[in-house]
Amino acid sequence: MSVIAPKFRLGYFLKGIFDNAFWILTIVTLAGIPLIQIVLFYMDLPVIDGELLTAFLAFTWLFNPTMQVPLIKSLLYSDLFRIAAFPGFGFAALIAAGTIFVERKMLAKLQLRVGPFYCGKIEGLLQLAGDGLKLISKEIIIPAKADKPLFWAAPVLFVGTAAAFVALIPVAPGGWVVADLDVGLLAVFAVIGFFPIITILSAWSANSKFPFIGGIRALHQMVSFEIPLILSLLSVVILTGTLNLSEIVESQSNFPWIIFLPISAIVFFTAMLAELERIPFDLPEAESEIVAGWLTEFSGMMYGLVQLGSYLKLYAFAALFVIIFLGGWTGPMFWPPLETELITTGTPIPNFKGDPVLTVFAPGLPLFDKDPNEWVLQEQGELQYTSGQLLINGVIWFVLKTVAVIFFILLPRGVFPRIRIDMLLHIGWYKLIGLAFVNIFIALGLVYAGVLGPGGIM
Amino acid sequence: MVGESVGSYSNVLLMFGFACAAMVPALIISRMISPENKKQPNPVKTLPMECGQVPSGAGRTHFMMQYYAYVLMFVIFDVMAIFLYAWGSTLLDLPRTATLPIIAFLGIMFAAMAYALYQSKRKDIW
Repeated sequence: MSVIAPKFRLGYFLKGIFDNAFWILTIVTLAGIPLIQIVLFYMDLPVIDGELLTAFLAFTWLFNPTMQVPLIKSLLYSDLFRIAAFPGFGFAALIAAGTIFVERKMLAKLQLRVGPFYCGKIEGLLQLAGDGLKLISKEIIIPAKADKPLFWAAPVLFVGTAAAFVALIPVAPGGWVVADLDVGLLAVFAVIGFFPIITILSAWSANSKFPFIGGIRALHQMVSFEIPLILSLLSVVILTGTLNLSEIVESQSNFPWIIFLPISAIVFFTAMLAELERIPFDLPEAESEIVAGWLTEFSGMMYGLVQLGSYLKLYAFAALFVIIFLGGWTGPMFWPPLETELITTGTPIPNFKGDPVLTVFAPGLPLFDKDPNEWVLQEQGELQYTSGQLLINGVIWFVLKTVAVIFFILLPRGVFPRIRIDMLLHIGWYKLIGLAFVNIFIALGLVYAGVLGPGGIM
Repeated sequence: MVGESVGSYSNVLLMFGFACAAMVPALIISRMISPENKKQPNPVKTLPMECGQVPSGAGRTHFMMQYYAYVLMFVIFDVMAIFLYAWGSTLLDLPRTATLPIIAFLGIMFAAMAYALYQSKRKDIW
């Protein structure tokens, strides 16, 4: 029985505004500005045009047209941009939001419904934003006798672990990845290993029966499908001889590995569905048996965070499939290369008499080339492309392939029924491990018969 | 350099920290704007979900011990599978005779696994 404005009087309203403004100003001057100074002291600031960038200079240059491009460029090549925006969190969250929209509409079409329709006028585009608003304005109820620190931490840790998984995914040529590790694939396995722990801890901390049963099921399922997941990728590592994900992509410039290792791809895809807890393997969240599985006691924004984490995880797994089996960002170029004169000497624009009055330097995509004076021309075959062109082209191919894989992850939800847990574990322990075992020898055979590797096709 | 190779891992941790730090405000804002009657808390609301019934017994019920053998198998097999990666990533540089011991290793690994699975099926543990 909450009342929005018990006694509304203009005087109280103005007093409230002035009070808030006073406290905000006081706290910002006493705590905020010193904090910013301390943070700036420990950050290594970029040097632009021979001048060390300070906060004051940055604010000044924001309004100086000649300095804006170098300023933005230095931002684009900082770690913060990679983590927060492009290959990292923002990009993944955008694809996750698109996935939720596509999932709703596609399932509706499969089941002869219309799906979200009214919110946002056009095909329910704003339904996700509406759901987010609804979740954030709901009360968070924590069950009695729950282990509160663990229960609060579980959704945040889930999102964090999914983001750490996203950090390992390269999306474009030229090192567009948050963390470029030599042992990228092993790091992926290490990060995947955290999901069962978080699931079982959150399920245990809720002190409720349905989450506990769901958490145990999630643990069983992830344990049984982790070995096929790990073993199925061994064949790719045998053929490429590297664990770095960027190098695995570059090894597929001629053929994607799915042509030579279809069994590996099938095993990995099945194990992926089980790790993602998606139908037909969504036993940990089986609605008709155990209310919502290990998510039962999560309410409000905590449930929203778990959903965000699971869709980030979905994107990361689909991207991993694309990187390992479908060739990542490799694909034909969409645009012809830019003329070298256009970049180096500029194009004169004549007036109506034919005299050149204005020389336009029209570089391909100025923001994505590191040095404005020295255009990085990368050789690909006979044609020369700027690194910006390669970036855009790579990202388009990567997103197209990832969306296709996400479509095939979503499709079983409208097509297949859920299977029984003993059948699930039987598939994981008996069939997929056997297939993964056979698969290692297929890869060895391909290398030793001379089809692939040194002396072979690649 | 040791520090350099460790430094490339720091971005994974930074991304983890960024996601955690970005999600905490969502929970705080939710706490701030959500309706909550703090003066008269309702004890029924915080009961664990048990389909409308008053919950009986402890919330943390039994683990299923029958799966424990499988978890032990997982712990051993997982480590062995990771060892295979050390061999797989350097296979193209190794002489061909180096593959034979690894095939013996694979044989031991999968024979033991098959025996364990056979026993679990015979004793009807799933």
